[in-house]
Amino acid sequence: MTVDAALSSEILRFYAALVGSIIVLAGLVLFVVTVVFGKDIRPIWRTYRGWLIMTPLVVGFIIAGRTAVIVGVCLLALFGFREFARATGLYRDWWMTGVVMVAIIGVAAVSIASDPRIRTPGWYGLFMALPVYVVGLLLVIPVLRNRTRGQLQSTALAVLGFVYFGWMFAHLGFLANTSHAYGYLLYLLFAVEVNDIAAFCFGKLFGRHKLRSEVSPNKTVEGSLGALAVSLVLPWLLSFSFPHFGTLQLVLTGLIVGIGGQLGDLTISFIKRDIGIKDMGAVIPGHGGVLDRIDSLIFVAPLFFHMVRWFYGIA
Amino acid sequence: MESPDDQRSAGTGADEWKYRPSAGLDQSLLQRLGGFPREPEPLVYALRSASGLLLRTWLRSYHRLQILGRENLPGEGSFVLVANHSSHLDALCLVSAFSLARLHRVFPAAAADYFFSNMARTAFSAVFINALPFHREVHGEQSLTVCTALLENPGNVLIIFPEGTRSITGEIDRFRSGIGRLLLGTSIPAVPCRLEGASAAWPKGRKIPRPKKVRVIIGRPRSYETMPATRESVREICRDLEEAVRLLATGRDPR
Repeated sequence: MTVDAALSSEILRFYAALVGSIIVLAGLVLFVVTVVFGKDIRPIWRTYRGWLIMTPLVVGFIIAGRTAVIVGVCLLALFGFREFARATGLYRDWWMTGVVMVAIIGVAAVSIASDPRIRTPGWYGLFMALPVYVVGLLLVIPVLRNRTRGQLQSTALAVLGFVYFGWMFAHLGFLANTSHAYGYLLYLLFAVEVNDIAAFCFGKLFGRHKLRSEVSPNKTVEGSLGALAVSLVLPWLLSFSFPHFGTLQLVLTGLIVGIGGQLGDLTISFIKRDIGIKDMGAVIPGHGGVLDRIDSLIFVAPLFFHMVRWFYGIA
Repeated sequence: MESPDDQRSAGTGADEWKYRPSAGLDQSLLQRLGGFPREPEPLVYALRSASGLLLRTWLRSYHRLQILGRENLPGEGSFVLVANHSSHLDALCLVSAFSLARLHRVFPAAAADYFFSNMARTAFSAVFINALPFHREVHGEQSLTVCTALLENPGNVLIIFPEGTRSITGEIDRFRSGIGRLLLGTSIPAVPCRLEGASAAWPKGRKIPRPKKVRVIIGRPRSYETMPATRESVREICRDLEEAVRLLATGRDPR
């Protein structure tokens, strides 16, 4: 992944054009709704402006290359974890949050470094082993500080914070080390958003039965099934992103995005509901916090990564 | 009778975990910086400590900053530092009288209409100066309440310039009544403090400071616990502090 490779990549050009036209089209539709029908849809415009800023940023990071993608994912993980820490109250424990943040940077460093034995980009062995050391270190913190009160909760939150928001999400960055990085990354980012939007639309149109009434009262079985159907079709439509995929891999990709994406969404929902908050933060106007935006990706990225690695390896 | 299933769903037997989300969860970082009290942010602390170190180096070399009477600063407990005001250097010099470890507990009260008027200034004031946004035009009482709350927590230092604005001539202006209302009937010590040379080094209206000597003279703390709650007492406190600051000129014994 270099700038030159990015600019000559047909896959990247296709996705840029696709997303660009969708954004322009959506803008036109919103414009018509506002001006012609005179509807007040300012919140939707706010969300739209968020997309206007985020999309070029994401494409920019991908064009900038492998290191930029890993660093970008690392920054998102850091912001995401910070939101999680602020929401749960873990942020008051500077030792725990500090170690987790350093560890998240460590994961990125290991993803950028190359394996000293086989000299391929991305030190996969250490990347996979890192949680062992980080969890060990987190468990030792209460011992080193000679404290017990509330330490089980702090350690548990820190372990979840690192493993889920740091390490599992970092698999997205590690995908940049694979030989079909553009196809994988762009497809995942696009498909996860399509899955989200499809769930929303199908839910609005046909939603009757609540999916998980306790966790997320606005999600419906109809929306969920509709999104899964869309996600199962999408790999076939965009199969040029991964021309080496067979039927099995295309079906698995559809299932991972279609089911995993919604599970990621529901995971953040139950966390928020247990804490008793609505949004994880207010970083992105119209979208809430970073975690509200990347929730599906966190779940999907590692599942997709290991599916790909199982069949084709990394390089 | 409870079935085993109910017991299981009731949790592990230990008390439920207690989450204490941050109060400013629905605010962006900038909104949080503009509010008060601010929650500790590791990144902000790091930036402030680093800039504090640079600031000290600059003040000590460029302005040959001298701090007299540091032993008068109360070691623990909250207190108010009351000083004359003639330059942007004032708050920077006073903050430098404290150890780097205490830096994050020292809050210069700064005019909200200036230091928190836009994004860049808000970020600068909150991160580097640790300023307390003080509304001097409207909501004066509300700002005083914020100050009182700050001083009720032990270990905080509030820096107040009771003149309300920078003096143009370098002479000390009349002290406004806010400081009197803040201190009347409380045991919170007030530490009078005199700044010398700051107006010559960086007067109001000048863009770049001149390399002139600046001196901070710290006087003995005093408190106004036993005074009756009258307007006259408020005026009396202001007069007393103004006098104390005036008397702290060089050549005189700061004690």
